[in-house]
Amino acid sequence: MLPQLRRFARVITRNVQDADDLVQVAVEKALTRAEQWRPGSRLDSWMFGIMKNAWIDEIRARRRRERVYAPEEAGADVGDDSAESRDILLSVQSAMERLPDEQRIALALVLVAGYSYKDSAELLGIPIGTLTSRLARGRESLQAMLGSGEATR
Amino acid sequence: MKFPDEMLMAYTDGELDLVARAEIEAAMAKDPAIARAIERHRALASRVQSAYRGVLDEPVPERLAKLASGTAATSVVDLAARRAAREEARTVIGGWRIPQWAALAASVAVGLFVGVLLMRGPSAPYEESATGLVARGELDQALTTRLASTSGESNVRIGISFRDRGGAFCRTFHMQREAPLAGLACRSGEEWQVRVLAAARAHQGELRPAAAMPMAVLQAVDAAIEGEPFDAATEAAARNAGWREPSDVAE
Repeated sequence: MLPQLRRFARVITRNVQDADDLVQVAVEKALTRAEQWRPGSRLDSWMFGIMKNAWIDEIRARRRRERVYAPEEAGADVGDDSAESRDILLSVQSAMERLPDEQRIALALVLVAGYSYKDSAELLGIPIGTLTSRLARGRESLQAMLGSGEATR
Repeated sequence: MKFPDEMLMAYTDGELDLVARAEIEAAMAKDPAIARAIERHRALASRVQSAYRGVLDEPVPERLAKLASGTAATSVVDLAARRAAREEARTVIGGWRIPQWAALAASVAVGLFVGVLLMRGPSAPYEESATGLVARGELDQALTTRLASTSGESNVRIGISFRDRGGAFCRTFHMQREAPLAGLACRSGEEWQVRVLAAARAHQGELRPAAAMPMAVLQAVDAAIEGEPFDAATEAAARNAGWREPSDVAE
């Protein structure tokens, strides 16, 4: 499940290094709280929840320190050979990076990790209506940034 | 008919019930604008998925793999130092906090958790059931049929066998895999319930399995065992009786 955790972290943190740091922190936090996880319940959504909270704490801490966190080398390797398709993929990633955190996290859960609305809302601790409106706003902005999107690759 | 955009998105996400889905599909057939809107949502969803798919195929960095396999206990300090150095280089003060690992290493819950973290996936030799983890596949087979003295090709070695305080048969095991695991399983009905799983060291050569058992497993054994571990004859008799009470077995 580490690859899934890393992918989720990559979406929400927008940065390879932060993403892996986040996975590390989440695994460590999970280990300290392992007794709170019930065997038989979904470990992945529990971990995603821990990661999401850790990231929000981190963002708050960074803001408190009033440091501007410059977005750096976006995306790194996207695992696709053709330069043309890499351009498209990078542009999707950079469009995602411009979304507000809450919209990006909602999209990360539903579109990237493939969670249902219900599971995602539960994991985020928000009503389903709030989740769907975040998803809708996120998608609208993405659509606007990426153009019609009708010609995929 | 007009549909709110959120409903069209929910349709592409597979979130609508049968009736709403049928309504949308009927509308799509009549109104090309609705069909186009849905196509647009689909295309966007697939672009977002493709954009991050590559991450799944990247090798997991060693520091994470180590962390999850529980072998990082001694390297936490190094990690912290390395991260501090990196953060400094970026002139950003890292806010991450590293919990004390050492205090946790012995916890049974941690052992179980680490085991599950490592073993998720279709080939996992266990399955989650309502009552916890149940051994499957080669693990189930080894627990049911193998003796501690058996050596050979299997990836699973049996450690000690004993009865717990409730009278159930329990056995410790060691699984040789990319990330070796050890654990304790106890018989419940016709299944082996895995009570503890923990990252273990690879067993090498003549090392006795018990010596390779992680603390979490040893502690669980101590907590559960009634009397002494079985000797070879008792172990073989219990195995031959199919891990049932002697009185259950028709002679």
